[in-house]
Amino acid sequence: MFRTAIKGLTANRLRMALTALSIVLGVAFVAGSFVFTDTINARFETLFTDVFAGVDATVRPDSESTNAQSFDESVLADVEAVEGVAVASGGVGGFAQMIDSSGEPIGGQGPPTLGFSWTEEPQLNSLTIADGNGTAPAGPTDVVIDVATSEAQGLTVGDAIDIQTIGGIDTFTITGLANFGTEDNLAGATLSAFELTRAQELFDLEGQLSAIEVLAEDGVEPEALVADISAAVPSGIEVVTGEQQTQEQLDAVTEGLGFLSTALLAFAGVAVFVGAFVIQNTFRITVAQRVRELALLRAIGATGSQVVRLVFVEAAIIAVVASAVGVVAGIGVAELIKTAMDAAGLGIPDGPLTVEIRTIVVSMIVGIGVTLVSALLPARRASAIPPVAAMSETSARATPKSLRTRSIVGTIVTAVGVAAMALGLILENSTSLSLVASGALSLFIGMSVLAPLIARPVARFLSAPIRGVTGKLARENTIRQPRRTASTASALMIGVALVAFTSIFAASISSSISDTLEESFPADLAFASTNFQVGVSPVAIDELRAQEEFEVVSAISAGLFEIDDAELNVAGVEPETVDSVYQLGSSIEMSELGDRLLVFEEALETNAWSVGETVTVVFNGVGEVPMEIGGTFTDATFAQYVISEDQFFTNIGDDQITIAFASLADGVTLEEGQAAADVALAEFPTIDVNTKSEQIAEAEAQVNQLVTLFTGLLSLALVIALLGIANTLALSIVERTREIGLLRAVGMVRTQIRQMVRWEALITAVFGALLGVAIGTGIGYGVVASLADDGLGSFALPAGQLLIWIVIAGVAGLIASIGPARKAAKLDVLKAISYE
Amino acid sequence: MTNYSEDEARRRKEQDMTIAPGKLETSIAARMSEGVKIYGTGTAEVRALDGIDIGFEKARFTAIMGPSGSGKSTLLHALAGLDNLTSGTVYIGDVELGSLNDRKLTLLRRERVGFIFQAFNLIPTLSAEENITLPMDIAGTKPDREWFDQVVEILGLGDRLHHRPSELSGGQQQRVAAARALVSRPEIIFADEPSGNLDSKSGSELLEFMRTAVRELGQTIVMVTHDPVAASYANRVVFLADGKVVDQMDDPTTESVIDRMKTLGS
Repeated sequence: MFRTAIKGLTANRLRMALTALSIVLGVAFVAGSFVFTDTINARFETLFTDVFAGVDATVRPDSESTNAQSFDESVLADVEAVEGVAVASGGVGGFAQMIDSSGEPIGGQGPPTLGFSWTEEPQLNSLTIADGNGTAPAGPTDVVIDVATSEAQGLTVGDAIDIQTIGGIDTFTITGLANFGTEDNLAGATLSAFELTRAQELFDLEGQLSAIEVLAEDGVEPEALVADISAAVPSGIEVVTGEQQTQEQLDAVTEGLGFLSTALLAFAGVAVFVGAFVIQNTFRITVAQRVRELALLRAIGATGSQVVRLVFVEAAIIAVVASAVGVVAGIGVAELIKTAMDAAGLGIPDGPLTVEIRTIVVSMIVGIGVTLVSALLPARRASAIPPVAAMSETSARATPKSLRTRSIVGTIVTAVGVAAMALGLILENSTSLSLVASGALSLFIGMSVLAPLIARPVARFLSAPIRGVTGKLARENTIRQPRRTASTASALMIGVALVAFTSIFAASISSSISDTLEESFPADLAFASTNFQVGVSPVAIDELRAQEEFEVVSAISAGLFEIDDAELNVAGVEPETVDSVYQLGSSIEMSELGDRLLVFEEALETNAWSVGETVTVVFNGVGEVPMEIGGTFTDATFAQYVISEDQFFTNIGDDQITIAFASLADGVTLEEGQAAADVALAEFPTIDVNTKSEQIAEAEAQVNQLVTLFTGLLSLALVIALLGIANTLALSIVERTREIGLLRAVGMVRTQIRQMVRWEALITAVFGALLGVAIGTGIGYGVVASLADDGLGSFALPAGQLLIWIVIAGVAGLIASIGPARKAAKLDVLKAISYE
Repeated sequence: MTNYSEDEARRRKEQDMTIAPGKLETSIAARMSEGVKIYGTGTAEVRALDGIDIGFEKARFTAIMGPSGSGKSTLLHALAGLDNLTSGTVYIGDVELGSLNDRKLTLLRRERVGFIFQAFNLIPTLSAEENITLPMDIAGTKPDREWFDQVVEILGLGDRLHHRPSELSGGQQQRVAAARALVSRPEIIFADEPSGNLDSKSGSELLEFMRTAVRELGQTIVMVTHDPVAASYANRVVFLADGKVVDQMDDPTTESVIDRMKTLGS
């Protein structure tokens, strides 16, 4: 059996290569995602272990019991007095945004912009200055910056640089260039280090420390030291070991990049899923083409299960080889992602890629498993071939199962999928995502089962405008085996459906944003921070208020609090002025809000609260605060809970102003307003001034960036689907060798043969794309509708974009047909007409 | 038989042309001179055609007979422009096939040649009518409707035109193939064992029709067969053995063909 299988494979090298390629691509993506994620973790683990190697204990504010970010510097003396402490060094950290010579902020669009105090004790300092890179900061105008930023900006020791901190912008002189551990910087963050007292001033922490790092005397266990120090420091301060801190930092990085690895794995899953269709289709066609051969095996005594095994062994050989190649290719994929991230400024520490045994095992299992499962149905069909099929010409065509069974099964599977997705969208809990994902899976499978039922009319409709005999033949070819056409198209359907969904979702977000901005925000100008670490400074708000061009300036803060152990988003607004910039549809006069809580209408219903009731709100670090529900509101753009700015500043902080709005005074033009804002914000380069149309454009640009990324990743699924089209065509052409021979004999020239194959590819591809767009639109509509509560109000159908995707699918189908078309045209007429 | 060099062969042929071009154009539908076809090399060399000189007159029904391996199918393929000769020349009308590229050869088949194969004559996805008009559809020309109706009428396919090949009997399928070959009014029709897969009744119907087409419509048909009964429908039988023309017979009967075959076989 094994030898027969090998022979079967080597006899059809091209077909097998194409099938294998669809597995290779999927597996490579899976393996690449793992390798990349593992590499990041391993690299950062090495880095942090290296950086915190000397630190035995860290003293810092206890985030559980206080929202203070610092403590009194007198604690340092308490720590130093503890027995077993060799060296203790206090430091402060905060936001420090470097500004380039043209006044633009450096970095900060993604990775943080960190400021430190310089730690004198080298063993406790995560930053090191290499020989020849200058010296530590000593005076109030000295700063040390990271090597990566200096290189990127062409800055060197002795140069001046503007740095913005909470209070404003100051000019510093670079005295040294530092490495973070052995790295030029920390994952793309910009680093600036100042002398301690100066840093305390800059970060508004005079007499305060953010943390104290401790070096133990020889022979003192870190755990024991931590216990001793804990006993010596005031309450509200916690002490952790260096190891713990390393782990925390690592967890933070892993969590931060977790989204990325989840996303990568999700796309890998899509690729594998599409690959499964291609594999299944290929095996089904090859089994159909080998009916006589397999029947002959049965006739000479092979059992049904031996025939199944034959098909399976073939599948297994391809699976093993292709998966192994896929794993190797995956390492290349990981390297590619890493390079791409480096290019995007999100540096990952240098070092070798981490290939875990787990990666190899999981990728191989996925590749082999998917291939075998996909080959299952075709193999079972092979076993059903009666020995008599070896003799007769007519039974060589497998009799298709009844359409009734097909439509029932397809409808059930589709319905289950839709139901699971709907449930997932409604539930909004931890199982939602997996429900939606498995629902989508089921929906795709169900639709692919149903697709053959509509293949005929759709293909007829699509080919209606095609004139001439080549078009007619192509149409008939797509229709004659609707299952094959539908299965081929289904692979494309999945990719296109996801792309279409992404486009629709993005368009809906964009349109909702602009609708919301139009309706709810009557203000003329908006001010937001470009750096996610810092909000809009209250100082900046005051500067804006000082401009007489603005009639009202009103700020909105965003933060978190807890009710009944659920962490919730809360917005802080200025009750007196909020109405003129943000129409939240409050049931009470906003100026009468006071210390009360305003709850989003639907949240009030969900929680079965009533206005006037008092709920217990927990603010991190502050504790329980009873608040009366003063009323409800209807526009939850920022959060479902609103409190006054005073309450927000008191309980959460004044550094979380997300956005501020201004309306212009009478007679002031937009241009004059913008000019006034520029004057007021001269010291705050990280604050962007936007008109309403700019805001809309900016929001759309952000959404589009994400769409581009997703589309790029999904295009892999399209490529695999195209391999499927090429494969099906190539196999169909083998099957129709005699037909093509006949056409050539009675006068069809090669160009016409090629044209016929191209038409067939085009019809199949456009059929798949149309199905995809239809499903994508359905899913998009469902998701958008289910998110209406969360501010996604309007469903938008980007018809132009969807049309472009159909065109792209068609063009891609034509590209996929190049090889098969050439093969068909090259068939030798004489051989073709005498082909068995 | 003497083997001429290619140059010699061409020279002789040119002489033929200059001697009686008018006669050639008017009375000969297709001819082969010095036709040699060799498969394989060295010890595996097979001379499928070994110096064939033959012409086919217009409006005549010629049968080519011979035992298996005599080269009759190769001869037919070479005459029809489906296969090329190792040496020698083939003319369809006044066109020499060896000088044509694939495209021109295809166009020639489309415009001037009709085919009836033993099996797999029809495109399974097209209806009988679409199969009949296929060569014209490929060429993008319109069939002569009157002629089409006449052919369909003679072949008794009137009520079968909208059926797919799978819905037709073997005899009907072959008649559709014959209709396709006739409808474009080719200069010559090549048939390769057209009745080979048919029962005797359907077979004789088809052959009777082919004879009618020659006699009453002036069609030229060249048919390869190994069936003496089928050959008896022809005006002339050409006997082939080992790639050579060994005998010819005008107005054959089944018996005379069988007698002749016996001597060939021995």
